[in-house]
Amino acid sequence: MTRWPLRSRREWTELRELRYIIGGPQGGGLETTSEILSWAFARSGYGVISDREYFSNIKGRHSYIHATVSGAEVPYHLSYPVDVIAAMDAESVFSHIGDIRDGGYLIYNSDEGQSRFNAIPSMERELRDRLAAFMKAESLDGTLASVVKYLSDARRVNAIGLSYRDLLDQLQKKESVEAAQASRYISTILSGAMAALSGVSRESIEFSMRRRFRQDEIYRANMTMFDIVSSLVESKHGSPLKLEGSTLSLRKMLVASGNDTVAMAKAVAGLRFQSYYPITPAADESFTLEEYERLAGDGPTMLVYQLEDELAVINAAIGAALAGVRSAAATSGPGFDLMVEGLGWAGMNEVPVVVTYYQRGGPSTGQPTRGAQSDLLSSVFASHGEYPRVVLASGDHVEAFYDTIDAFNYAEQFQVPVIHLVDKFLANTIATFPIPDLSSVKINRGAVIKEKVPGYKRFDFTYPVSPRAPLGTNVMWYTGDEHDEYGHISEDSENRVKIMEKRMGKLEVMEKEIPEERRYSYFGDERPDLILVGWGFVKGVATKAVSELRASGKKVGYLHIRTFVPFPSRTIGSVAKDVGADRLVAVEHNYEAQAAVLTAANTGITIGKKIVKFTGRPMYANELEEAVMRVMKGENRVVLEYGA
Amino acid sequence: MALKQLTPASYRSDVWNDWCPGCGNFGIVAAMTQAFAELGLAPESTVVVSGIGCSGKTPHFLNVEGIHTLHGRSLPYAEGIRLANPNLTVVVNAGDGDLLGIGVGHFVSLGRRNIDMTVIMHDNTVYGLTKGQAAPTLGRGLQPKALPKPNIQDAINPIALALASGYTFIARGYTSRVKHLKEIIKQAIEHKGSAFIDVLQPCVTYDNIHTVEYYNKRVYDLQEVEKWDPVVKSQEEAPQKMAQAMLKAYEGGDRIPIGVFYVNPNVPTYEERLNERLKTYSQMPPAAQEIDRAGVPLIGNEGFERIFSKYVVTVG
Repeated sequence: MTRWPLRSRREWTELRELRYIIGGPQGGGLETTSEILSWAFARSGYGVISDREYFSNIKGRHSYIHATVSGAEVPYHLSYPVDVIAAMDAESVFSHIGDIRDGGYLIYNSDEGQSRFNAIPSMERELRDRLAAFMKAESLDGTLASVVKYLSDARRVNAIGLSYRDLLDQLQKKESVEAAQASRYISTILSGAMAALSGVSRESIEFSMRRRFRQDEIYRANMTMFDIVSSLVESKHGSPLKLEGSTLSLRKMLVASGNDTVAMAKAVAGLRFQSYYPITPAADESFTLEEYERLAGDGPTMLVYQLEDELAVINAAIGAALAGVRSAAATSGPGFDLMVEGLGWAGMNEVPVVVTYYQRGGPSTGQPTRGAQSDLLSSVFASHGEYPRVVLASGDHVEAFYDTIDAFNYAEQFQVPVIHLVDKFLANTIATFPIPDLSSVKINRGAVIKEKVPGYKRFDFTYPVSPRAPLGTNVMWYTGDEHDEYGHISEDSENRVKIMEKRMGKLEVMEKEIPEERRYSYFGDERPDLILVGWGFVKGVATKAVSELRASGKKVGYLHIRTFVPFPSRTIGSVAKDVGADRLVAVEHNYEAQAAVLTAANTGITIGKKIVKFTGRPMYANELEEAVMRVMKGENRVVLEYGA
Repeated sequence: MALKQLTPASYRSDVWNDWCPGCGNFGIVAAMTQAFAELGLAPESTVVVSGIGCSGKTPHFLNVEGIHTLHGRSLPYAEGIRLANPNLTVVVNAGDGDLLGIGVGHFVSLGRRNIDMTVIMHDNTVYGLTKGQAAPTLGRGLQPKALPKPNIQDAINPIALALASGYTFIARGYTSRVKHLKEIIKQAIEHKGSAFIDVLQPCVTYDNIHTVEYYNKRVYDLQEVEKWDPVVKSQEEAPQKMAQAMLKAYEGGDRIPIGVFYVNPNVPTYEERLNERLKTYSQMPPAAQEIDRAGVPLIGNEGFERIFSKYVVTVG
């Protein structure tokens, strides 16, 4: 198991896709660089996916952007090695020595040549130890200069050392930028160098800068910084990383994070009440909703309600739903744990409420800023007793958009809580995707009664899904105790059987109403020798790995699960029969392969082969391809662990 | 006004009330139904929200919208309901364990918001339905009959906590003075903002200390006996009135004040704050809004690109 460093096995002769890393201290402006570059590439007609990796920290620890840009496809995968690393500081170079391809490009601060890896206080001990071993093995003195030399000599990396201090001095001579503010422009040094190497047009950068910097002065200063750096880099190095012209047909696209994508979809779905308590990586969604709370001037509004804890959050959302409003809560693992009792009340009382669940590494506080798919079993089984629910999982931004709308429709159609699983990877990834066509979007509010009905029974046994009257229309009762048709407490045995059968009977209704083809999607060979089975953010990397493997003659496919309740049992059953259960491989971001556990529970089919990753970093196309090859050669379990 | 004359009996459901005979809770239900009738509240736009325990059953005995929720969580439910539809009158009935024990975070937080609703606390110093354990209102050293040992924890002072939390109407009632309690409930419902009523409610089965006899000897009416003026006339007067009420809150022992301790009508309600921000909240609260036209979302392709233009990039 080689953990350090990764040596690239491939060389790029033509650039169909560009991969880059931009690293720097948390709080140092990386998000700005990511936005500027993503918008600029999109403006030039390319597709981008830009992941953000960061510590649970406000300022100072190493964070980085890892992106793929392509004009041949809308990319939804990340891979190593990268073509270029742009480093704000020495720590970023030390942290990514192994990530750059042979012959790639390194942009670094030449003022920091004498910085030593073991003098960087923000670096974690484990990395420092690995670096110490590496420095010893390669006989390096531990300075940035020695690492740059190593990369140039041993790896033919084109090292572009820029004196950030000089560049900032030049900026200050041209623009009225205060000394204390100057370091804010380091992020523009990096976008300038990146744009020069990859041949992004000045017009595209202007477009991005205008969006990012509304104040004229700041815009101008950033453009000046950009021009200084890009002309310097271009004159010395040209544009060796210029991508082939884009063949994408997108003329207009959305460029958004997963948080923002879900927020936009909630607005379309008719959300009128969202409650939340601050938690990473869910909170940004609520901020975006609040930003757009007045959707269209004096038209509809969205009430965003911040409460004291997640116990309050779920129960306030349920309260709003009882009043007939489309309502949701957004949270992550620790918050969801607190919501569980409320979720059971919603199940017991047949309340349509949506929980958008941004998974992060667990258990407990776990890895607050790192991604995972380890809360699937918790979502499917949360809360004591038995009650029907819907559990959806989104694989990318487009799915997240439509799943959000479906979540509200299902909640009201079946009068159940709906858990919509997304994750940190999606939340913090900026992606480019087509603008959703809303003409095909439908709002389904299920059976609703708005007029006064004599003798109204909220839980009328005539239906599995009794018509729902909002509070304010009819006198009705709700209780977490087992109850009769009116909502009054009843401990009678016969009543218990009737209402359990009515409530649980909704599982059958869902089974019938949510079509099998809505529950999964499939990519790849029609007669595969091997099928990867995954869900959530695995989709992008798995489809990429499948298409690469197919290009090299392998017969493989990817089965993507989109709903866990109800489960695509028929499909998995027939696939297992046709291809053989021993040719299924679970690919998941958790230790146990939780979707495989649910597959066994739902179908009796055991998926014995597993490729899992639980480091909190996304799976990369290169490591997944390699893992699939290993499984093809007979390995049953491959644990992926690449990524800083 | 309601078409047919509403009497207290109109607000009673046909569910048999299974509280212990002589329970103080009966006085609360009597006072509530009388108050509702005198205010002429429409049953379908009156919502009673409860938590768990004996007090949790209150909504089932009433003929209004009844929401019997989870232990400690009555307030968040009530807040969600009220904010989604501010045309509803919302009353919360919850025990002292519910509001000051398992749900105390919500109790404090409601004060910060001043949402227009009424919170009636059934204060009986014990957890009745689980057979008499010490509630957060039971004083240290006391040993009601179910406790194996005297209580080792101090009591929370509900009036003081409500004051510190920001409630803008704070009162105390007593279940054996139904008329007095009814008047307080009426004032609380009519008050604009978060109203809290601490109701002394003897548990006849598990609390052999705080009995009717105990309270009858000690309780006196603040307004009647002391001509206590609880109302903050202007915001500048608030600290002084609050300090007075705080002192009064700690009066105990042989003399227990009931009545209205503190009223501050000068603090904007959460609903008013929302209207300030959303502009259309009062006329078009969430529950009054449409979200579709015959199954088609209100936001179409054109509106979407206009509203979310920040995320749209046109290839240029």
